[in-house]
Amino acid sequence: MTTAALPTAAAATPSPGRRGRGSLNPSPPVTRRAQTRLGVLLVAPVMILTVVFFVFPLANALYYSVVDFDGIDPNPAFVGLANFQEMFLDPEVWHALGNNLIWIVIGTAAPLVIGLLVSVLLWTTRSGSAGYRVVFFLPYVLPGVAIGIVWGWIYDPVSGWLNQALTAVGLGALTRGWLGDPDLALFAVLATAIWAATGFVIVILLSALRNVDVELVDAAKIDGANPAQRLWYVILPQIMPVFLMVLTLTLVGGFSVFDIIFIMTGGGPANATDTIGTYAYSQAFEVSRIGYGTTLALLITVLSVPVAVFLNRLQRRLSIDGTGA
Amino acid sequence: MTHTTVDSPRVAAPRRIGARSDGMRRPRPQIGRHALLLVLALFTLFPVLLVISTTLKTPEDVRVNPFGFFSTFSLQNIVDAWTVGRFSDYLWNSILLTVPSTLFVVLFSTMAGYTFARLPFRGRTILFYIVVLGLLVPFFTYMIPLYFQLRSMGLLDTLLGAVLLLTSGGLSFGTFFMRAFFSDLPVELEQAARVDGASELQIFLRVMMPLARSGMGALAVFTFLGNWNNFLIPLLYLPGGDFRPLTSGLYMFTGGRSLDIGPLAAGTLITILPVIVLFIVLQRQVTQGFLAGAVKG
Repeated sequence: MTTAALPTAAAATPSPGRRGRGSLNPSPPVTRRAQTRLGVLLVAPVMILTVVFFVFPLANALYYSVVDFDGIDPNPAFVGLANFQEMFLDPEVWHALGNNLIWIVIGTAAPLVIGLLVSVLLWTTRSGSAGYRVVFFLPYVLPGVAIGIVWGWIYDPVSGWLNQALTAVGLGALTRGWLGDPDLALFAVLATAIWAATGFVIVILLSALRNVDVELVDAAKIDGANPAQRLWYVILPQIMPVFLMVLTLTLVGGFSVFDIIFIMTGGGPANATDTIGTYAYSQAFEVSRIGYGTTLALLITVLSVPVAVFLNRLQRRLSIDGTGA
Repeated sequence: MTHTTVDSPRVAAPRRIGARSDGMRRPRPQIGRHALLLVLALFTLFPVLLVISTTLKTPEDVRVNPFGFFSTFSLQNIVDAWTVGRFSDYLWNSILLTVPSTLFVVLFSTMAGYTFARLPFRGRTILFYIVVLGLLVPFFTYMIPLYFQLRSMGLLDTLLGAVLLLTSGGLSFGTFFMRAFFSDLPVELEQAARVDGASELQIFLRVMMPLARSGMGALAVFTFLGNWNNFLIPLLYLPGGDFRPLTSGLYMFTGGRSLDIGPLAAGTLITILPVIVLFIVLQRQVTQGFLAGAVKG
C-alpha cells in the first residue's frame, strides 16, 4: 500500500490510488483523542459479536479437541492428544481427505478453466454479453439446498432426466444410479458444484478482461500467435491478480465443502462421498463424539488457512507490481 | 455505476480479437459463438426451468412422469406447498431472520469499517486481524462448540439467537468490505469538515456515511442473499421448527415425504423465486458488489 507520510504531501498530490488509512497521522492530540473515543464506540458491536460468536467457540473447539465430550457430561475427561492420535490412525479420515483433495483439484480447476474460456468467448463476442452474464451468474445466488434437490432429480436412477436423456439418444447402457454408485457419487456431486461455481468465475474474469490491453493482443496476433498462445501468454498474465483471487476463493471453498454434499448424499453411499466436513458432522451430531468431531473440523482450518494466506500474498504482490486490478 | 454497455466499446471496436484483420468480416464465427453461448446458457438455466415446469404440472402428471416437462397445467402443487407444506410459515420465518440480520450487518460493518479505515488508535490492527480471521476459518470448525454455547446461553431455538449468529457471520466480510470502501474516499473531505468545526461523530454521520451509501447498498444486497440462502445456521440452531426458514424447511421436506415431487418443486420455487427476482432487479449491484468486495483489500 502507499505510505503517504505527511497529510500536506498527501493533499498536494491527488493521485487516485492513495489511501486515506493511517495517513492522518500526525494529527493534533485533541483530534486523536476524539478519534479514539469514537473508534472504540463504533467498533464495539462488531468486536462483541465476533468475540462471543466466533473467538469464544473457536477457543472452545481447541478445548473440545483435547477432551472426550459426549455433549451431556459437563466435566468431560481430559484425554490429551488422543483425539489427534485417533485422527491420524483413522482410515476414514484419510479417505475423506482424499475426497477433499479430489474436490479441491477438480472443483477448482474445472470452474477456472471453463470460466476462463467462456469469459474470453463472451469478451470477444459482439453483443448480448450482459444477458449471458446474468444467466451465468444466477446459480451463484441460488441456495445450495435448492441446487442439491434439483440435481438429485436430474440424477434420479429411475426417471431422472439424465438417464432419460441418455436413453433417448441411444446411450441407454450408460444409465445408472448416479448418486447411489460409490464410484460415481463424488463426481456426480462435484459436477453439480462445478455447475454452481463456474458462473461466478465467468463474471469476475469478464470484468478483469475489461482492463486487458487490446493493443498487446493485436500485436501478438500480427506476430503470428494463435488464439491459445494469445490467451496463455498475453491475456492471462494481464488478469493474473484477479485469476489468483478467484483461485483462492474456489480453493478455500473446496477445503471447507459441506452444504452440497450434505444435502445431496449426506456423505453416502457407504461414506463414498465423505469429506472432512461431513465426516466431522456425523461424528459430532450422529454418534455424539463431540470431541473427535471437533478435532476433525480443526484439521481443515489448519490445512486451509496457510494456503489462503500464501495465495493472498501472491495475489497482492502481483496486484502491486502489475495491473493494479 | 458503470453501465453494462461498458463492455461493448471494446467489443464493438474494429480491433476486437477474433475479428479478421484482412477486412473479410465473416458472420459465421459469431453465429457459432452465439450458438455455443446459448447452449451453455440453457444448460445453466435447465435446473430452474425443471423446477418451474414440475411445479406447474398437475399432481397426477407428476406421479406418472415425475421429471418430464409439463404437458398439463395446475397451481395445485403451489397451493399444497403453501398450506400443507407450511411454506407460508417458512417464508415468513425467512423474512424474520433475514431482514434484521441484514440491517445489523450493514450498520455494524459500516461503523467498524469506518473505524478500521479512518480512526487510528492503539490496538486497532489486532482487532482488525481478529475480525478478518473469520473470513479464513470455515464455519464448521466451530459450529459444534457454538451449539453447546448457544444452549447454555439459552439462545438455542430462539429467533434472537439465530439473528445474532447470522449477523456475526456476516461481519467479517462486511467490515472488510466497508473498510476498503472508506479507504478509497478522499481525506480532503474529512479535513475540510474538521476545519469547519465538525466533530468526529459528525464527520462520520454527515460526511462519510452518505458517501458510502452505494457500498452499504451493495453489502445489503449480498448479505441479504447470503442470509436468505443460509442453510446450516437454521438447521443446527433452530431445531424445534417454530422458526424454520425456507432453506432448512425445504431440506426437512425432502426427508419426510420424498415421493411428493410436486409440492417439493413448488417449495423449491417459493424458496428461489425471491432470490431470482432480487438478483434480476439488482444484478448490476450484485455483480459489481462482489467484484469490489473480492478484488479490493
